[in-house]
Amino acid sequence: MADPDLDFTTGESGASATYPMQCSALRKNGYVVLKGRPCKIVEMSTSKTGKHGHAKVNLVGIDIFTNKKYEDMCPSTHNMDVPAIKRTDYQLVNIAESYMSLMSDNGDIREDLRVPESDIGKEIESKFEGGKCWHQYPSLYKTAHDAAGMCK
Amino acid sequence: MMMAAVGAPEVITQLESAAKVLMAPPSMVSTEQRQHAEHVFLSFRKSKSPFAICKHILETSKVDYVLFQAATAVMEAVVREWILLEKTSIESLRAFLLTYVLQRPNLQKYVREQILLAVAVIVKRGSLDKSINCKGIFHEVGQLISSGNPTVQTLACSILTALLSEFSSSSKTSSIGLSMEFHGNCKRLFQEDGLRQTFMLTMEVLQEFSRRENLNAQMSCVFQRYLALANQPLLSLYSSFSSYILLLLLLLLLLWALTGGGPLGRHYIAMFEATQNVTLKPTESWREALLDTRVMDLFFSIHRKIREDSDMAQDSLQCLAQLASMHGPVFPDESAQVSYLAHLVEGLLSMINGIEIEDSEAVGISNIISNLITMFPRSVLTALPSELFTSFINCLTLLTCSFGRSAALEEVLDKDDMVYMEAYDKLLESWLTLVQDEEHFPRGCFVQPAIQVFNSYIQCHLAAPDGTRNLSVNGISSHEAEEINELQEDDRELFSDQLSSIGMLGRVAADHCIPLLTSLLEDRVNRLHGQLQRTQQHLMASTDLGSVDRKVLDDLYEDIHWLILVSGYLLADDPQGETPMIPSEVMEFSIKHSTEVDINTTLQILGSPGEKASSIPGCNRTDSVIRLLSAVLRTSEVESRATRASLTELLSPQMGKDIMWFLRRWAKSYLLVDEKLYEQISIPLSTAFGADTEGAQWIVGYLLEKVINNLSVWSSEAELANDTVELLVTLVEKRERANIVVQCEGWWSLAKQFASRSPPLHLLSSSVQRSLMKALVLGGFANMDSDTKQQYWAEVLHPLQQRFLSLINQENFAQISQEEAVKQEIVATLEALCGIAEATQIDNVASLFSFLMDFLSSCIGLMEVYSNTPETINLIIEVFVEVAHKQICYLGETKSMKLYEACLTLLQVYSKNNQSRKRSDATAEEDQYQDLLLIMELLTNLLSKEFIDFSDNDEVFRNQEQGTPASSRTVSAADVVLYGVNIVLPLMSQDLLKFPSLCNQYYKLITFICEIFPEKIPQLPEDLFKSLMFSLELGMTSMSSEVSQLCLEALSPLAEQCAKSQEKDSPLFIATRHFLKLVFDMLVLQKHNTEMTVAAGEALYTLVCLHQAEYSELVETLLSSQRDAVIYQRLADAFNKLTASSTPPTMDRKQKVAFLKSLEEFVANVGGLLCVK
Repeated sequence: MADPDLDFTTGESGASATYPMQCSALRKNGYVVLKGRPCKIVEMSTSKTGKHGHAKVNLVGIDIFTNKKYEDMCPSTHNMDVPAIKRTDYQLVNIAESYMSLMSDNGDIREDLRVPESDIGKEIESKFEGGKCWHQYPSLYKTAHDAAGMCK
Repeated sequence: MMMAAVGAPEVITQLESAAKVLMAPPSMVSTEQRQHAEHVFLSFRKSKSPFAICKHILETSKVDYVLFQAATAVMEAVVREWILLEKTSIESLRAFLLTYVLQRPNLQKYVREQILLAVAVIVKRGSLDKSINCKGIFHEVGQLISSGNPTVQTLACSILTALLSEFSSSSKTSSIGLSMEFHGNCKRLFQEDGLRQTFMLTMEVLQEFSRRENLNAQMSCVFQRYLALANQPLLSLYSSFSSYILLLLLLLLLLWALTGGGPLGRHYIAMFEATQNVTLKPTESWREALLDTRVMDLFFSIHRKIREDSDMAQDSLQCLAQLASMHGPVFPDESAQVSYLAHLVEGLLSMINGIEIEDSEAVGISNIISNLITMFPRSVLTALPSELFTSFINCLTLLTCSFGRSAALEEVLDKDDMVYMEAYDKLLESWLTLVQDEEHFPRGCFVQPAIQVFNSYIQCHLAAPDGTRNLSVNGISSHEAEEINELQEDDRELFSDQLSSIGMLGRVAADHCIPLLTSLLEDRVNRLHGQLQRTQQHLMASTDLGSVDRKVLDDLYEDIHWLILVSGYLLADDPQGETPMIPSEVMEFSIKHSTEVDINTTLQILGSPGEKASSIPGCNRTDSVIRLLSAVLRTSEVESRATRASLTELLSPQMGKDIMWFLRRWAKSYLLVDEKLYEQISIPLSTAFGADTEGAQWIVGYLLEKVINNLSVWSSEAELANDTVELLVTLVEKRERANIVVQCEGWWSLAKQFASRSPPLHLLSSSVQRSLMKALVLGGFANMDSDTKQQYWAEVLHPLQQRFLSLINQENFAQISQEEAVKQEIVATLEALCGIAEATQIDNVASLFSFLMDFLSSCIGLMEVYSNTPETINLIIEVFVEVAHKQICYLGETKSMKLYEACLTLLQVYSKNNQSRKRSDATAEEDQYQDLLLIMELLTNLLSKEFIDFSDNDEVFRNQEQGTPASSRTVSAADVVLYGVNIVLPLMSQDLLKFPSLCNQYYKLITFICEIFPEKIPQLPEDLFKSLMFSLELGMTSMSSEVSQLCLEALSPLAEQCAKSQEKDSPLFIATRHFLKLVFDMLVLQKHNTEMTVAAGEALYTLVCLHQAEYSELVETLLSSQRDAVIYQRLADAFNKLTASSTPPTMDRKQKVAFLKSLEEFVANVGGLLCVK
């Protein structure tokens, strides 16, 4: 199910990939695992069966890697898995044959990521061409999200 | 002219062949032929004095279309050549046309209608210069009606319709080249006289019809014309004949329906709905017509005849409802009103008593009753013969109960059209009106009715066997659990009107109703307790929750739900902005029985919610009001015990909400009852809930414990948690109650728990957390010794500060800031800050402001860190919005300045971060612009300081700081706001203005700025200035009238600013010149909303003062475009008159008022002259 073009390194050793949270405590714009996928919650609503029923939470989430939409419903007292999301920013050092050289905060370089074939990719290239290579693009490269063990 | 040159026979031949061309199928004639034929008719109609030839045509031609054109030509020529014509020849022309129609019953319908229209136009034109006597016409029509010949009567109806249509001065008025002014004058004349005549005549026709058994088909088609009337836009109806015409139209419609005219259209339904809200207020001249008892009798008898037809029945009942709403000068004195009402009530009673009410009659009948109860003064109602009044009240009681039962059935059957529910609502509303004026009526006369209505309401809402809930006609109960989404309103809101009425009736019959509610509720609670115990045992045996039958439980929950709602509405009100009081009826009830009450037993019942009330000795000698509260507490106790026994899943969150709602409503009026507010106080109530009583302390402790329990058990039920925390806020928002609350240990542990952000409180929704913070802060201002107080703040606020500071001061904060845990901590802090700001009151603003200010600057730092998580940015701005909203009005100069500075920095950072941000997504939703909306809100809040200011030279801060010199003012509100506008304005595209909330907030903001800081406008950078002016123009010309009005209001201060500065070539000066033309056109040339005349007038006046020469030029241009000398003169006069009182115009209030006054007249006159139809 994983897209071979995406790279997911496993998280820090021993760290759990997810942790449980009471469904009602989830928030819009937060994260949750829906149908086994790490998702960003874009819609949350509640409903109940019958006037004296208990609340159920209806969740709509977007897969943070594939942008696919997932929906789920569960009693508000139940626990849902929340993915442990870690976000790493890289500085773009070079682009060679569509592959980027990215430097992390501690100076490590990785060169295994291709420039995405999207508007963001074009923007990265044009800004890089424009000589602003030392600027940070923290929000530009989404796949740098590191969701450990989510997509084996 | 062509026609004059040829003889009559040739003309007829020419016209007839042209008609043949026009009537031919498209394939048979060429376009040229058709155009030529059209031209023939057009020039025929324009020919001079075509009267003789038209007469000739009418008498000889056999072609309908030619006859039609001849009638049109006559009509147009009469109006055109009116002044040139001899009055006698007009009169003979009219007589000719009428006779012509009378003698030719088989004329094509459209020809006959056109000829009658010509007659109507002649009458209308003649009525203006009094050359034709309207009375004469009506006399003639009257004779036709009394002729007894159906054909002639039908014709008379057609004439009436033509007259009514022509005189109603609406869009259906014929286009005969007369000005609006003329139409308006005719309308006024007709309204004084003709309308009543028409009414009388229609009545005669109706009488005639009501005597007849069967109506022939020929009749019915006549009344099709009436429908055309009904087609007129309702708005123009409102402004033209107001309620008379509505009544009349209904009458006519009824007539039409009487004759079996076919299905009714949409316009008809709209008409029907519109009339429900219009009351009948005829002038004195209608006295004779409407006070005639035969009018009313006629309607009653018509209704009896047609009531099986549901559409017609609604009509006739609506007519009666109109008659029941009659008021005003039509009644010469009160006795006339009394006898009119008596006749109405008699008619109504005999109608209702003689029939079994049909579904379609319910709403109509309730409208009649509601209208007469609302419109007739109490003195008139009480002056009715007492027997009649009693029968009326009895009938109303029975009707209410019966409609209530039918409404319940409708709910079970889930009908789309809830007619009985609507009727029931109306009747309950009428009861409320009656009962609120109880002192005018004989003492106790509403007690028995109140008991009956109350009982039937309770019965409909309880399950069998006590009640009939969910029982359909055949006694089968239905029970289906449907999906309910969060948008569905709670019953307490959805049925608040009904519940208010029932609560009020319950107070009137408190002796019956309070004990009834108590015993029902105690019984249900006992049963609930038993059922839960049994379920628990059952579970121990099987451990399968799914096997539990929820039906019994759900029925109990639903019973308890309604009993608590009714009890809440009965025992207390929820006044907005007033001091909540114990209702006087309840107080009197408790006082009346206080001698029979054993206070100790009462307190025992109150203090032992865990025990069965009936098991306490002497339990029948308790105060009933306290006993009812105790019953709710018992419900609450059963719920709490079930949660402790891990049966939460079996409980109803709805019931939990009901309990919290009730206790909050109750606590506001009863808890620590303030004896000073009442003339008389009940000893049991003051002993149980008064200040410094054990009872009050106990109950505060009990409620607090309940709140704490709920917040941990029900964190997953957002609404219930919300109701719970609202109860908590109620407990601490009044100082007296807070004093007791902070003495409870539970309160302190709640505070600690919340501060440590540990489970279960951190699971609560953000709005609940905000309110919880608010409550904790409010509690901190209760009376405590200084050590305790210090300790309290150390528990509540300091952890917040410490956690926040230690987090953001971490060296690697920038790196860890995006981690979820860190983000959540930041969000929680921001939410808490909003809650703290919400807790602001005048006596705590000093300390809260200082506390919050420390955070604000750190928040600005967060703007950078979270620049790419919009939801966090929004939350940061929201903190500022809340602080400004709640605190700015109390802040003195130095404090305000601090806040201005902080806001300015916030805006600067925001602006920097947003420069590169793209907002071009065409599909973006409104909430993606939340930040813009919030910023505008912030700016508006800051501006509000200029007109709402409670600060008194930093008085609230006097203890804190000693007079910083005010002259060191560095930042003003204007600076901040203009800077903010600088940011917002370039982002506000026309697309964004399509979002209503953004649009309104934006225009509110820029109008405020123009009004408050007009001197700053000329100093704006050029681009900003231009877009501001463009926004104003756009708002004036192409937005909603509300926005348009705001923009007009912004113009006066701008013009005044120009006048002050006296710079003749400044951009603002030039811009105001442009606005002069815009406003001038708007007022003089365009149709505008009359509500805007004042705002536009004020703007126009100041603009005229500023640009007198340009104004004269505008007037000149307009005058010179007028060809008609008469109109020219009148326009010129009107303009002279307009400015007469203010020449030369100066910016002087008195002159301005004079100008506005003459403007009103001017618009009325000129509007008519220029808007020629």
